[in-house]
Amino acid sequence: MLANTFVYGFVNSIILVLVALGFNLTFGISGVANFAYGALYILGALLSWVFFNTIGLPYLLSVLCAVVLTAVAGELMYRFVLLRIRGMVLSEVIATFGIGLATLELFKYLGFIGFEYSLPVFVDTSIEIGQVVVDMQRVFIVIIGIAMAGFLWFFTHHTRTGLRFRGIAQEERTALSLGINSDRVAMLSVSFGAAYAAIAAIVILPLGTINVEQGYSVLIKALAVCIVGGLGSTGGLVLASFLIGYGQTITVTYLESHWVMLVPLIAILGILIFRPSGLFGEQKELEERI
Amino acid sequence: MLEVKNLMVFFENALALNDFSMTVNEGEIVGVIGSNSAGKTTLMNTISGLIIDMKIKEKRKGGERITIYGEILFQGEDITETQPFDRVKKGLVLSRERHPVFPESDVAENLRIAGHQVKKLALSERMEYVYALFPALSDLKRRKAGFLSGGEQQMLAIGMALILKPALLLLDEPLLGLSPMMQTMLVDAVKNLRKESGITILITEQFARPILPFIERGYVIENGMLALSGTGEELMDNPEVKSAYFGI
Repeated sequence: MLANTFVYGFVNSIILVLVALGFNLTFGISGVANFAYGALYILGALLSWVFFNTIGLPYLLSVLCAVVLTAVAGELMYRFVLLRIRGMVLSEVIATFGIGLATLELFKYLGFIGFEYSLPVFVDTSIEIGQVVVDMQRVFIVIIGIAMAGFLWFFTHHTRTGLRFRGIAQEERTALSLGINSDRVAMLSVSFGAAYAAIAAIVILPLGTINVEQGYSVLIKALAVCIVGGLGSTGGLVLASFLIGYGQTITVTYLESHWVMLVPLIAILGILIFRPSGLFGEQKELEERI
Repeated sequence: MLEVKNLMVFFENALALNDFSMTVNEGEIVGVIGSNSAGKTTLMNTISGLIIDMKIKEKRKGGERITIYGEILFQGEDITETQPFDRVKKGLVLSRERHPVFPESDVAENLRIAGHQVKKLALSERMEYVYALFPALSDLKRRKAGFLSGGEQQMLAIGMALILKPALLLLDEPLLGLSPMMQTMLVDAVKNLRKESGITILITEQFARPILPFIERGYVIENGMLALSGTGEELMDNPEVKSAYFGI
């Protein structure tokens, strides 16, 4: 039981990391709280389903197309909607939430409901870790989750575009005066976030079916992790994912499973009461000093 | 090299710059002296293009109306409507007022962000150059910029502009908020920079005393208008400048 909790809690935590990375990336760089994140997540999954099942492309190719198209969707959303309201937080939230709501409801209207809408697992076997049996998909989730977090770190610290990201994230006008095009970088950050959402969906959703309602719960999970970790902080994101992830798994194992949804909400409430800037609110620390 | 012709900048109906004209020739070091709210920073932001960016962004969301009249010519080219990042490509780089660096990045990373479009080899060379110009920074490479002192941040801010190897360096109030000792150090560094690289510099300041001795020409700006202009020495001997800036 204990070993089970440990292994599945770990997987659950990595799922949260995967889900929150894209949201955190976009918010951390352009300051846009992308509430259409859940819709992009479902869009990525459905696109890959359509490419694979309806059009009949090979699996890898359909995944690639889905990720690219989701990124393009993010880019279009920035170009035609967010561009005009960037910097006005409330308008951003309302606009992106509206887009997300419309998209998800449209999917429902189009009839993307049911058991046939599920993505294939990568490899259909399972392995044993200690005495715990884990299916290969969960192992892939862990590997890909860690790889994606590592790639994000490498990208933002060691590539030119990544350095531009960090510049805009910290001092937009200084970055501008150093020749960084803030609009382009912000657009890239939204479309990168969208691509991360699509990848997360394609890796995670084979565990169940593509359920449009998940668009909402994914958004809540991402929000919870980012708020608890401290918005924009990647270290905080990982720590918060593990806190909430293990919290959920322990709740399922030792309490009752229908209480799971409460864990992220309680975590948000708790952190807002005791440490409003989040666990790793670095910016806050610096601001207070100055 | 730089020519500003009859520049007028309005924020809504407030006039920040009024019919301001000035020139900077290649290889010169030119100062713009003025008190608080005289329009120095607006001038610098207009020359560097930050105002254009602000204007576009405000217009998009229906915010403050910013109007710019007049012309800015850089190396013979009209750049009045050019975006700031395109001006940087042309060699016009601003080091902003109050040295806003990237607080969560360490010193080396600040310089690397500034050099986001510089080739790797050239970048490390220029970083060494900045460390040589400001030896204080080379001991702080791994320190987060937010934890540096004001003077160190100012050095870093100038260093970041230098990474881009500007043809014309704009320094907006580099001495603001620094101790007299730090001011002297910075002025020495700027003098060295000029001696070694022959770079063209436009500098704004409210502290006339440390600046006037080494600028070639200067403009005095008051309420957004040009009040006086002349060589550094002429300005130093001018009775009005003396009474306003030296308290004599």
